[in-house]
Amino acid sequence: MTSRRQLQTIGLVAAIGALVVLSVVPHLASATDTQRWAQALYIGIAAMGLNLLTGYNGQVSIGHGAFFGVGAYTTGLLMHQHDWQFLPTLLVSAPLCFVIGVLIGFPALRVKGLYLALVTLGLAVVFPDLTKHYVHVTGGTNLVALNRTELAPPAWVPTWLSSIGRDDQWAYYVTFALAVVLVVATYLMVRSRFGRALIAVRDHEAAAETVGINAARVKVMAFALSALYAGVAGSCAVLVDHLANADKVQTFQLSIKFLVAVVIGGTATVIGPLVGAGVVVSLQWIISDVLPKRVSSIGVLERTLGNPAASPAIFGILLILFVFVLPDGIVGGVRRFWGRLTSGRSGAPPTAPAPLTT
Amino acid sequence: MDHVSRQRRRASWRCLRVFALCTVIALVAAACGSSRRNDTTGTTGGNGTTPGGAPQNVVPTADCPAGQDTVGVSGDTITLGTSLPESGQYAPFIAILKGERSYFEYLNAQGGVEVPKGSGKKYKIKLVDKDDAYDAARTVTNVNSLITDTKVFSLLNVVGTKNNLGARDTVNSECVPDLLIASGAVQWGNMKFPWMLGSELVPYPLEMRVFVDYLKKNKPNAKIAVLKASDDFGQSYSDTLQELVKGTNLSIVQTTGYDPESSDVKAQVTSLAATKADAFVIGAALLACPSALNAMGDAGWKPIVYMSGTCVSKLLLSAAGKNADGLLTVTPLIDPSDPANASKPAMQLYTQQVKKYSDADVTDGIVAYGWTTAALMAKILESSPKLDRASVMETARTLTDVKGVGLQLADSTWNTSAQDWFIGETFQLVTYDSTAAHTKALGPITDLDGKTAELSPPALLRQ
Amino acid sequence: MSLFLTQLMNGIGNGAVYASLALALVLIYRTTGILNFAQGEMALYSTYLFWYFTDRGMPVVVAILLTMVLSFIGGAAIERVVLRPVENSSPLVLVIVTIGMFLALNSIVQVQFGADIKTNLPRAYPKHVWRPGDVQISADTLVLVGVLIVVCFVLYLLFQHTKLGLAFRAVSSNPESSRLVGVPAGRMLMLGWALAAALGALAGCLIIPTIGLQASSMQSILVFSFAAAALGGFDSPLGAVVGGLIVGVAQSLTTQYIKSLSDIVLIVPFGLILVVLMVRPQGLFGTRRVERV
Repeated sequence: MTSRRQLQTIGLVAAIGALVVLSVVPHLASATDTQRWAQALYIGIAAMGLNLLTGYNGQVSIGHGAFFGVGAYTTGLLMHQHDWQFLPTLLVSAPLCFVIGVLIGFPALRVKGLYLALVTLGLAVVFPDLTKHYVHVTGGTNLVALNRTELAPPAWVPTWLSSIGRDDQWAYYVTFALAVVLVVATYLMVRSRFGRALIAVRDHEAAAETVGINAARVKVMAFALSALYAGVAGSCAVLVDHLANADKVQTFQLSIKFLVAVVIGGTATVIGPLVGAGVVVSLQWIISDVLPKRVSSIGVLERTLGNPAASPAIFGILLILFVFVLPDGIVGGVRRFWGRLTSGRSGAPPTAPAPLTT
Repeated sequence: MDHVSRQRRRASWRCLRVFALCTVIALVAAACGSSRRNDTTGTTGGNGTTPGGAPQNVVPTADCPAGQDTVGVSGDTITLGTSLPESGQYAPFIAILKGERSYFEYLNAQGGVEVPKGSGKKYKIKLVDKDDAYDAARTVTNVNSLITDTKVFSLLNVVGTKNNLGARDTVNSECVPDLLIASGAVQWGNMKFPWMLGSELVPYPLEMRVFVDYLKKNKPNAKIAVLKASDDFGQSYSDTLQELVKGTNLSIVQTTGYDPESSDVKAQVTSLAATKADAFVIGAALLACPSALNAMGDAGWKPIVYMSGTCVSKLLLSAAGKNADGLLTVTPLIDPSDPANASKPAMQLYTQQVKKYSDADVTDGIVAYGWTTAALMAKILESSPKLDRASVMETARTLTDVKGVGLQLADSTWNTSAQDWFIGETFQLVTYDSTAAHTKALGPITDLDGKTAELSPPALLRQ
Repeated sequence: MSLFLTQLMNGIGNGAVYASLALALVLIYRTTGILNFAQGEMALYSTYLFWYFTDRGMPVVVAILLTMVLSFIGGAAIERVVLRPVENSSPLVLVIVTIGMFLALNSIVQVQFGADIKTNLPRAYPKHVWRPGDVQISADTLVLVGVLIVVCFVLYLLFQHTKLGLAFRAVSSNPESSRLVGVPAGRMLMLGWALAAALGALAGCLIIPTIGLQASSMQSILVFSFAAAALGGFDSPLGAVVGGLIVGVAQSLTTQYIKSLSDIVLIVPFGLILVVLMVRPQGLFGTRRVERV
């Protein structure tokens, strides 16, 4: 019991520490690095949502890049063509993704396990085609590129938040704030009765039904909520990346990224997906930007590790090795490690940051 | 028990609803609190024609950030930046970079580029490349990073239409030249964005103009079938063609789209072949080009074929074997796979230097394109009266009779002006000979200088 | 009518490829319960090997056989080295592992064999098109369909009429019990992956010479194969074949008769899946799993 309380205290300290660090990032980092942090945050938001569906409710989706795209296009089009501010667009994009999530969640009820993964794969490959068919914006393409005026923070934003020429700070803080709101929301949600219902349905649907859980409603709700998170992430991405765009390869890879963030961070943990997203984004940055420079003078390595074409291979192999070592993700692994530590010799000093919650 | 649990369940759902409502209210509050942003339309400094009609500057600099004009020039080095797919499915485009690097290495070995010509001051060129895997979002990140972190003087030959469109606002409001964009798209003719210029690739609509002229002469009553990629690239072909056949005896019998991210066009071509049209326009790219030709051959259909200039490569054409025989297409460059060109001095220099500095296949047209683009960049730099961004951009926009650059065709001249925003408007109509495995010139050089804008689909230029 | 038949043949030709790959997916799903996202890229790697051999002058048929043997061994090795350590992990971890292989293989071929497009892959048979009464039937289609039939027959013999097949089926239906009665379950799992890899290699060596080889060659094929397997039922080889043919034919007929969808044909197979799974969640030929509380 003491171990648990200790864990919670440490978690709280770590969370406050993380909050402090994350809130000063844009004042220390360059615009490019700030953007990278913001990308990690929005991928984390989508992964948090996917975690509700996959981690807590046991439904695997490899198509959430499509919901992300719906969010991005909604925000992008409203800001670019209808002069909206960013925040109000969330009032459209989030509910829209939720509703689409419900509409797709219902047929998905009939489909289980890996079949669902395939139906969602369909979403990821069809969505970009649909945008190519119906969206003709920047230069007549399905790209919606925003200009500086559109991306500028609204007038009520205090200047210390976004100094001139640093619109990236506004983008960062908006994404950061939404991430914090959604972390808290997720925390409350998984601790609520609804959260327990999610887990019960995942662990044994029929048994859950017998104790009065409406499994269908829970599953559709999980699907729709995860779509909402992905939509919010997509909206943020418009601010961070300055555009909304969809191609099959990118939409599929984005969907994979969400899933990878969930697994690397720790399935069915509240902050795991955010941690995972941070790891994914930094890994990709190291592999494609840092590594090639380091090995550029070593013949064999330059042709293999330093070859940009090899970066997906390095990422893929690291991914496999990662799940070998930590199949329950970073947060799960840390918790396991902590558990072993405290059960062995109680009161040992913590050596790693602990998760926020169970 | 059941009653209690239901009540608790209801309570939890209510919780969820209250949470949702709170979020909505918070958002509405935020939205309402936000005052209108200062509504300045057009951040890019007008469209080049000042009210006074003063012609001295094609590229307006009034709204450019101050003190940034010579960023990227330090000592005797000019730093250029590029972003292109080096990983993922479009990784073959890395051959362009090999051609460019070979040219700059060769140039630097000669002491560098003299800016302006005759001044005696020579600069070495450093080209920084970043991988974007053909993802427009990554291109934008790369471009921003090249501008703010690497501090490049200019961008060179960034690959892809959407990739450059994504960075359009940045380069135009930062006033960084986005030169020699690797895309024959017409969008670079949008007069609101003067800091971008396409490379020597033939603008897609001009290809249709040449083909229609050819048909008018050789088959004036031809019925035309069109295969097009379902994006702005394919649209450039089909829209322009539709305009051009108006008022002639030519007619379009069927246009069928295909998914540009797939290369399976067999069913599409079978459907087109059933029309038994006299002419067949292939507005496709990469492996869809030989697939279309092979499907046409399988159908026993023998129309006059026009194939997009983007498909012209030894590799793609040889994949279609006999089915590619006699097709028409265009090229702005000497065909490096034609042995008859081997004795030309430009070709000899190219072969020798590319072999010296890279492992690229010198007979590959895409390497030749990279080499020529780098040479054109050097040409622009040395023609510039001063080494600053505005002067270089102005020079690129006012090229007069540029000849003999890289593997440029012997009789072609490249021009740009205040009204003419495209370089690759002189080119050669060629036909493919499958036995010899290279292209052959058909008639004299086509000169459509200044014609791109009027032939472009307006929808692509507007936004 | 002849146009309809020609498009039907186009569809059957493509369908045979989707069916082969879907069969490979089913083999792996039946034995290890894994949805193998790397199936297409495994076949891609094999096809690059085939290119490497023929490019260096090896006769086509020999190259195909050698590629299949190497792929068989490679498939078994992948099961043993990459999947065995995570055998008992959650399905999600297994999905991640196959996605990791997908990314890795796709980029390894570019590093190992060069990123450029290869178009000089030879066919194992002369290229020809027959035109009985305006209907086109190409040698490609006949070979693909013929090979598919032979493959099905061989697999049928293997599974239904050999001891090995019996052991294999025992492991796929109940690994625990079969272990208890002395079936070497581990080896059977390796066999499933090995067969799938060899089958993918064969499909790759036959279809790629007709379309050209690049790192993305297998991706759209794999998406259609997934659709095929889901349509037919993931645990049914017959379902995979029928599903493959349905998807292939739907693709070509949609292109011909619903022109506005010719550039978004993927809508059709996934629309079909959705409809079929609504009625039969286990796919057309899949077996229903009964859940006990």
